[in-house]
Amino acid sequence: MYTKSIIAGILTLAATSSFAAADKCGKVQIAEMNWNSASLMANVDKFILNNGFDCNADLIPGDTMPTSTSMIEKGQPDIAPEMWTNAVQELIDRGVKEKRLSIAGASLSDGGEEGFWVPKYMVDKDPSLATIQGIIKHAKEFPNPEDSSVSAFYGCPPGWGCQISSGNLFKALKLKDAGFELINPGSSAGLSGSLSRAYERKEPWFGYYWAPTAVLGKYKMVKVDFGSGVHPKEYINCITKDDCLDPKVTMFPPSPVYSVTTTEFAKKDPKAYAYIAKRSFTNAQMNKLLAWMEDNQADGQYAAENFMLNHKDIWSKWVNKDVQAKLEKALDKL
Amino acid sequence: MDNNRETLIEIEGLYQIFGPTPNNVLPKVKAGASKEDILAETGHTVGLQDINLTVKRGEIFVIMGLSGSGKSTLIRHFNRLIDPTAGKIKVSGENIMELSPKDLITFRRHKMAMVFQHFGLMPHRCVLDNVGYGLLIKGEKRAEWKPKAVSWLDAVGLSGYEDQYPSQLSGGQQQRVGLARALCTDAEILLMDEAFSALDPLIRSDMQEQLIELQENLQKTIIFITHDLDEALRLGDRIAVLKDGKLVQIGTPVDIMLHPADDYVQAFAKDVNRARALSVQTIMTPNTEKLVANTAAEAKANFPKNKEYAFVFDNDGYQGVLTREKLESLEDEAPLKGALHHIESVRPTDLLQKVIPLSLNSRFDLPVINKSGELKGRLEASKLADVLSPK
Amino acid sequence: MIDSSWLTEFPDMSRRDLLAIRQTLDGAYRSFSRAYGQSIEDFFNPLLHFLVWFEHLLIQTPWWIVLAVIVGLVFAATRSWKLCAGVLASFLAIGYFGMWENTMRTLSIITVCTILSICIGIPIGILMARSDRARSIITPLLDIMQTMPAFVYLIPVVMLLGIGKIPGVIAVIIYAIPPVIRLTNLGIRLVNKDTLEAATAYGATATQRLFGVQIPLAMPTIMAGINQTIMMALAMVVVASMIGVKGLGQPVLKSITNQYFTLGLLNGLAIVALAIIFDRVSQTYAKRAQRHMEGTENG
Ligand SMILES: Nc1ncnc2c1ncn2[C@@H]1O[C@H](COP(=O)(O)OP(=O)(O)O)[C@@H](O)[C@H]1O
Ligand SMILES: [Mg+2]
Repeated sequence: MYTKSIIAGILTLAATSSFAAADKCGKVQIAEMNWNSASLMANVDKFILNNGFDCNADLIPGDTMPTSTSMIEKGQPDIAPEMWTNAVQELIDRGVKEKRLSIAGASLSDGGEEGFWVPKYMVDKDPSLATIQGIIKHAKEFPNPEDSSVSAFYGCPPGWGCQISSGNLFKALKLKDAGFELINPGSSAGLSGSLSRAYERKEPWFGYYWAPTAVLGKYKMVKVDFGSGVHPKEYINCITKDDCLDPKVTMFPPSPVYSVTTTEFAKKDPKAYAYIAKRSFTNAQMNKLLAWMEDNQADGQYAAENFMLNHKDIWSKWVNKDVQAKLEKALDKL
Repeated sequence: MDNNRETLIEIEGLYQIFGPTPNNVLPKVKAGASKEDILAETGHTVGLQDINLTVKRGEIFVIMGLSGSGKSTLIRHFNRLIDPTAGKIKVSGENIMELSPKDLITFRRHKMAMVFQHFGLMPHRCVLDNVGYGLLIKGEKRAEWKPKAVSWLDAVGLSGYEDQYPSQLSGGQQQRVGLARALCTDAEILLMDEAFSALDPLIRSDMQEQLIELQENLQKTIIFITHDLDEALRLGDRIAVLKDGKLVQIGTPVDIMLHPADDYVQAFAKDVNRARALSVQTIMTPNTEKLVANTAAEAKANFPKNKEYAFVFDNDGYQGVLTREKLESLEDEAPLKGALHHIESVRPTDLLQKVIPLSLNSRFDLPVINKSGELKGRLEASKLADVLSPK
Repeated sequence: MIDSSWLTEFPDMSRRDLLAIRQTLDGAYRSFSRAYGQSIEDFFNPLLHFLVWFEHLLIQTPWWIVLAVIVGLVFAATRSWKLCAGVLASFLAIGYFGMWENTMRTLSIITVCTILSICIGIPIGILMARSDRARSIITPLLDIMQTMPAFVYLIPVVMLLGIGKIPGVIAVIIYAIPPVIRLTNLGIRLVNKDTLEAATAYGATATQRLFGVQIPLAMPTIMAGINQTIMMALAMVVVASMIGVKGLGQPVLKSITNQYFTLGLLNGLAIVALAIIFDRVSQTYAKRAQRHMEGTENG
């Protein structure tokens, strides 16, 4: 009799705790983009949602363009933890207008940093290379390995929003007239591969890159000054547009990087949504985390566990005391 | 067959054992373990054991046996397509086991040519190139070998097929190409591994006849493999019978027919239609004296002693049979012509069934005369009856 | 209490050890690439020059001359007017839809990759056919080459040689060469034993057997291998474009990531057209060359 009631009690407890929560949060799909910071964030979200909000969260691979399209058209995945909205501005605007997407908050509080970069060892030798005039003057120092008559500028990987913006800036800066060829690296792996190859051998390299990334955390690079300052209007109205006929020079404005969710998710579990809205990193924090990931060759999950274990100072600000206690309990089990 | 021809090929104590470590198994085989025991104990297959034989220059030496008895294995030792586990192979007195790889190739190019059961033609070469293959790989210029190839193709009855490809020919035609290829190299020894076995009976019989005819002029040394005793008897000067890798008997066709060494050979011999299988030369009595005479006087002077009758030849060749009795009744000057019995001669290559009626109609032995008109022997009716009456 | 967690969880190696291994290997590769990258690049330089030259040739030559040469080659190989007409129509359509230059780029790299695959693959296949040992070593390598996801070896190659044509060619060849090797090996091993024995019996040397019998008889199989190699090389065009190889792959890649369906479809169709042309031409040529061997026992 006694044992029976205990068993029954445990069963009810288990049932209530899981089913009650499942009613609220339930199945959540988180897009895990294929670069490290996004993967880290997706794993942190998964851990916190599962252990702090009793969600049943899962990761699915994603990329900026397809993920945002799918969120608008299909309502899946529910969360994109690190969305560089510049790249897909119109799409996101439309999604928000149609009440399909909600922008929860900035996932990188400083915004992403984009630009054309050269290795620091080149600038150390010739400080003029820190400016676009210097680059243009010394174009011959950046030979294209496949055609030494032209110089090489490594552009943004195809399909990324930056392919359009860096292409337009390439035009605006008249780099073609200066003898540069815009090289399509084919993929982000191609781009980072070409950069690390050059860097390891202290060879010249000039191309598009962005931060926070492990590559920029690891290699000392200098952002080339276009001497124009930032013109956000020109940037948004023309540089990011495929059909921009007469692009004008502007530096990249800091890229807004948002946590985006489907409106349905925001409505379904406001508490979880509130957490997503608060979850945010500074570039300094993120660079440090990325450097740790790179050094330890950590994947997103391992890095997230490490972050949860060692950086309570950061994540405790994102959740209330209750949830914090739940999370600590879960961390003890790791 | 005259027995005093010189020996061309000698095989002594030849063993062939298939498997990973044949040399370890060899002593057991030599000690007399059976093929089955060896297989069960060591996993090795005994292909040939203790083969000893000699082949004489100019003879057709037939190796016969059931399928799987090791015939193909044995013939492949003659040109070392297979190396023996133990034993000696001598050709013209030279031990070919000692040839260097380079000398072996020279040996194959010049000494031996081979005809295969499944023809072994090169499907990507036209008939002419197939026939000339042996010369081509020796490095002969096309202009040099082409006329030879054309003439051999003609000899086997395939002129006009030069530019066809093997796949366009019938089986019989393909094997003629195979034969022409072998003859084209001018090698003195011909190895024929079941060369006619894949052909239809009629075509096969044609081919046998053609081979016999060619051989009359060429006088090659031919090692001929067959599983068919009819064929062996028809072609062979001597026949070796192989059973489970062992030689059970070597002998002339008549020996094999009349004195089989064991039940295995007996079983072969039993089903044979001897009249159709044996040729005259296998049972004729060789070394018969002939009587060369134009007049009775000459005949009286030369008449073989102890003989009741003789085969009379003049400048035009064989004329007929003359009995002693008749001759003695003749005047010295009388012409022989009128006194002769007109007994037809037979050829050494004639099958017995062809000569049976002649023999029955004659109270004399029949003279055996070859194509060029020489008397090779005589065919005794009693021998014929002996051979044909089953035991 | 005894720790029995290994029952439910795989007793894997500690993260620290795994990390040490990964870091050591990566570090070793990095220093290797630093030490030898330049000399390896120099080694490939002539090939790079040839690739650049060939691509220029195809692009700079007026289109109608290139087209005439292609159709001429197709006719010489196949003697089929129908095929020539098909090829002409495909290329005209490709040019009309503005894909001429990219098609020429792809054509150039595929041609070079195919030639290199044949030149490297056939000797390896022959080696494999002649030695069981070589076969037992090479077969698993080929399995790896065919199944290993391309990016696993692409990134090290990029670290070593940068992005562009050379790493692209290497990636394509790694992926596309196995069929020609396998089928050369298979073709030679399947050559009728009787035919080969006949050659040996008549005193053919090993070389005469190889070039006079084995390779000619294996040719239909080898041609099938070459055909597959070309198809696989074309299939790699898109992957190769991910490390900066110019050609039809880049617009396809762009359209995949941007969902430009029509662009993707057009360029995809151009790749398909190239594939069909290569396939039909090589098969018709092979059939024509091997006509008289039909119906024989050889594979
Ligand atoms: N390479 C080989 N390895 C193992 N056994 C073999 C090999 N070649 C032949 N044999 C065996 O040797 C025996 C004789 O074969 P073979 O000479 O082909 O016979 P035949 O030509 O008389 O039909 C058979 O039992 C066969 O299985
Ligand atoms: Mg046989």
